[in-house]
Amino acid sequence: MSAPENVTLTIDGRVVEVPKGTGLVETAAVAGIEIPVFCYEPRLGPPVGACRMCLVEVEGIPKLQAGCTLTAQEGMVVGTGATSEKAAEGQNATLEFILVNHPLDCPVCDKGGECPLQDLTFRYGPGQTRMTFPKRTLDKPIPISPTIALDRERCILCYRCTRFSESVAEDGQLVARNRGSMSMIATFEDEPYRDLFSGNVIELCPVGALTSTQYRFEARPWEIQNVPTICGLCPVGCNISATTREGKVKRILSRNHPEVDQGWLCDKGRFAYPHLYAEDRIATPLERVRRRGFGEISWDDGLDRAEALLRGAGGRIVTALSGSETIEEAYALGRLLRVGLGAHSAVLPEATSSALDAFRAPLSSIGHAEVVVVIGEERVADRAPIVGLWIKQARRNGGDVVELAEPKLDAELEQRLRSSDRAVLIWSGRAGGGGARLAELAHSLGFDGKPGCSAFHLPATPNGRGVAEAWAAAADRDEANPEPIGLLIVSGDEAAADPAVRALAEKAEHVLAITMYHGLAVGWADLVLPATSYLERDGSFVNLEGRVQRLRRSVIPPVPDELGWISKLAARFGVEISPHASLVFAELAETVYGGEASFGDVGERAPLPARAAYEPPEPRPVAPIPPPAAAPAEHFLGTLRLLRYRPLFSGPTVERVPELRFQRPAAEVELAAADAERRQIRNGDSVTVRSESILTLRARIDRRLPPGVARIAEEHARDLGTTVEVSRSSNPFTSAGGERA
Amino acid sequence: MAEQRLVVLQGADERDLTKLAEYRAIGGYDALAKARALTPQAVIDELLASNLRGRGGAFFATGRKWSFIPKPDQNPNPHYLVVNADESEPGSFKDNEILSRVPHRFIEGCLITAHAVESKHVFVYIRGEYLGPFEAVRDALEEIREDDQLLGGVTIVVHRGAGAYICGEETALLESLEGKRGQPRSKPPFPAISGLYASPTVVNNVETLATVPPIVAMGGAAYAKLGVESSTGTRVVSLSGNLVRGGNYEVAHGITLRELIYDLGGGVPDGRELKAVIPGGSSTVILTAEEIDVPYDYDALAEVGTAMGSAGVIAIDDRCCMVQLGIRVSEFYEHESCGKCTPCREGTRWMTAILRKLEAGEASDSELDLLLDVCDRINGKCLCPLGETAAMAVASYVLKFRDEFLAHLDGGCPFGSQSPLDGVVAPVNQHTQSPVAEVPA
Repeated sequence: MSAPENVTLTIDGRVVEVPKGTGLVETAAVAGIEIPVFCYEPRLGPPVGACRMCLVEVEGIPKLQAGCTLTAQEGMVVGTGATSEKAAEGQNATLEFILVNHPLDCPVCDKGGECPLQDLTFRYGPGQTRMTFPKRTLDKPIPISPTIALDRERCILCYRCTRFSESVAEDGQLVARNRGSMSMIATFEDEPYRDLFSGNVIELCPVGALTSTQYRFEARPWEIQNVPTICGLCPVGCNISATTREGKVKRILSRNHPEVDQGWLCDKGRFAYPHLYAEDRIATPLERVRRRGFGEISWDDGLDRAEALLRGAGGRIVTALSGSETIEEAYALGRLLRVGLGAHSAVLPEATSSALDAFRAPLSSIGHAEVVVVIGEERVADRAPIVGLWIKQARRNGGDVVELAEPKLDAELEQRLRSSDRAVLIWSGRAGGGGARLAELAHSLGFDGKPGCSAFHLPATPNGRGVAEAWAAAADRDEANPEPIGLLIVSGDEAAADPAVRALAEKAEHVLAITMYHGLAVGWADLVLPATSYLERDGSFVNLEGRVQRLRRSVIPPVPDELGWISKLAARFGVEISPHASLVFAELAETVYGGEASFGDVGERAPLPARAAYEPPEPRPVAPIPPPAAAPAEHFLGTLRLLRYRPLFSGPTVERVPELRFQRPAAEVELAAADAERRQIRNGDSVTVRSESILTLRARIDRRLPPGVARIAEEHARDLGTTVEVSRSSNPFTSAGGERA
Repeated sequence: MAEQRLVVLQGADERDLTKLAEYRAIGGYDALAKARALTPQAVIDELLASNLRGRGGAFFATGRKWSFIPKPDQNPNPHYLVVNADESEPGSFKDNEILSRVPHRFIEGCLITAHAVESKHVFVYIRGEYLGPFEAVRDALEEIREDDQLLGGVTIVVHRGAGAYICGEETALLESLEGKRGQPRSKPPFPAISGLYASPTVVNNVETLATVPPIVAMGGAAYAKLGVESSTGTRVVSLSGNLVRGGNYEVAHGITLRELIYDLGGGVPDGRELKAVIPGGSSTVILTAEEIDVPYDYDALAEVGTAMGSAGVIAIDDRCCMVQLGIRVSEFYEHESCGKCTPCREGTRWMTAILRKLEAGEASDSELDLLLDVCDRINGKCLCPLGETAAMAVASYVLKFRDEFLAHLDGGCPFGSQSPLDGVVAPVNQHTQSPVAEVPA
């Protein structure tokens, strides 16, 4: 690409040079001049020129122009409100009109103090009102979903929210209704706004019209602190700010990292923070008394008991990690167990293959890809929601998106990928060696030499790769799995909720659980040490791009953090490990991250490491993807392969947030249209799903599903086997959604 | 005595030109054959020579508009001709008559234009309430549907609007046609570059297109001899309000407003006095009775600060209260404001509120100034002309009839209920009827 031609123009008497086509708002900013805006938001698509806040005078054009719709042209002479009386009068007029029907209830408005309308009114608006008529009044607030409240009186109709809904999330659920001064924002057919990304409209709203039901009346901007950290709920690691007041997290805002999240955040990342204050949160170490009871013990006793358990196991220890530990915590645990006790056996979360480092690129590269191939049976949104938004952006930019259940390319697609300079492969499924097979595919397509072509694996856990690398770096020995298991250490809530880990616990003599919640510890752990959340820890995560990002402690946890007590416990086994994340990171960085990296280098917006040379992944046993059930004979309906999936809105964190209940998956089984038709099942029918056990679920026909599978959320699939029979419920009185005896 | 000069409506008084055979009998569709024998550029040149300017209201040179359309090799997207038949301006009803009486001339104009801009797709966006004109066009299309040669591979789709004045604004019309909320787009890009479905699009008014066949038939130069230099050709003018003989009259540009009102319209009935004239539909600046010797052409009207707009001439007699007229017009624009840009959405509502207060006799001196200031703050700051023209029109009532407004300050309206505004643009509740109710099953 050739560098764009530069143009020189004058704004308020200042000469500024920018590439041709730069927006006038940005051009003015380069010159240190503000063109105030409400509706303008480049991330929402082309400017609309609706609010008229940005009026400027352009020499040679008699009428005031909407600055946001103009681009820099050679020789242009622009006057903003600062120098042009006409422009100032226009901006003043716009604000006067906006305020004519605005309730001016700033003292009780959540937005007050951080409100663009307030700020711009102070800078550009009239100091008093000339409006002597009753203001338009409307019902308010309207809960457009359990998480969002709409105040239509405060709304200034900038249409940012509807544009987000239409052009970014592409859900089309937010619409404008009526006309003229009675125009109002509404959800389509007044249905709740149910989308993965709905919360972004709260942040986009330049006034207090769309507010978070969780944050309403909780804090004022002058008594809060915003802590820059990252979200720890999926492998993207969206950059966020945690708003805290008096030591409590009150809301989560996005913090634009243009390469990672572009300032968008999914509703899980935004609304899940109340999990910190769940009723069953564990505050002290717990010791098992009797079969299912627990007794609270002191930390001193807790560490004594832990030491005793560790010594008692005689090295026959297995550690199950969640993939949501920081790399520092995983490394410290590894040092304690592997160096201190020689306990090398671990159940590690699915990690991303380092072979993919040769095809590394920022996630933002997906947004302007010519062709995106998504391989696998897991939905991108369930694993890494923001990646789904980047894919939508690619499609809007004219790119093609191809979805494949298996990594089998036809000749035409293969040729396209070979010849393209902007192609992206995404692995969104289990198996595949953590992207190792994807790396091989990318290599075979010649992606190594093309910086615009990249490959991403969407792992199941937020920091699986970091945890695996840190655990590996802690020692360099390997040991066979102990038999029998003397002690199973369960680190984190995801591991504690994992049925496979539970099965392992059955075979273990003792279980030590590190978890946040009673519900996850009861009935199987001998000792529970309280865990902390990603919002309460210092440390780092490695995201799916391979980017090392920093978590910053937003609030002091109600319990000592893991690194602190691991450090103390390690000392009892002669292992020295710092309780400070920065020092642990420095130690770890020497072996894993090239020796140079420090916390300071990671910064608030972490850079992406350079591509590595391609190294073929180690051959390892790759679990084959089970083939789809054979096409059944005409009269035999046959079985379907059960496709269990973990929905985005599931897991111990989401389960503890009442506002997110409406987002959780319904008790339904998704079927391909052909499979449903053959069974005479219609959308919404109550159906019986049968393997070793029997469930009654509601049927949903999904056109995108390949035939031969039945897709059921993990929490509803319960103990179904790998193949199921699906038929219409014979008993019409059986209601869907419950288990039948 | 001034007389009509029929070009667009030529032949319709003598024959039923809604019938293909009748239209053929007076040489109908010959111009199409003639145009198709020419290159697209030659047709555009003919239009440039005629100096035909758009009859929708903006008066932009039609040939120039066509010449902005990129050639197919410059832009491979389909090219579209979109017809603005969403005639909704209070006081204008000329397109209604043209579509109803000479639908074939209109269709012929569409086909010639499609040839000139190398388009195969014509969309006619017709006002939802215009059931009669819709049926006339539909029936005419039915008649030529069999004739592949006539259509020449061009498809003509007639789309009925759903009752929004703003959809007469070309970009709002395109949004609506695409199935979106009818709101204007920010320009540029202009429709010629990125219009319907982001493709090169010509948007022309009904009358403009119905003028194209006569121009091709008689030659651009001959057409240019009609009318006056700045405003060539004829214009179908809708006369309404307090007149003896309201209706549509096709006249050559340059006739005076006085001739239109007295010679063709028969003057004000019942011996009353003419008080004011709205010269180009409700959105234009009003003229007093003393100003009507102005010739009805673009430049002359611009000189007296008003515009020909969509040629809806509304005569107002001495019974009418200008404040009530202001309310009627302001209510219309408040009701029809699309709600996209701030000044129009909020300003028109404020204007109406002040006018109502004036009419009730509860306003003060300063509120009259406030009204003018609100108009001034709308004007020149909107996304599209809707709010701006509403503000200019209402402000002109105050400026030209200030004494009457001042008379309202003490004790309310001097006309009281004696000012019915009968026949002077329809009250807003008549604009709220749903056109959908009329859709035949």
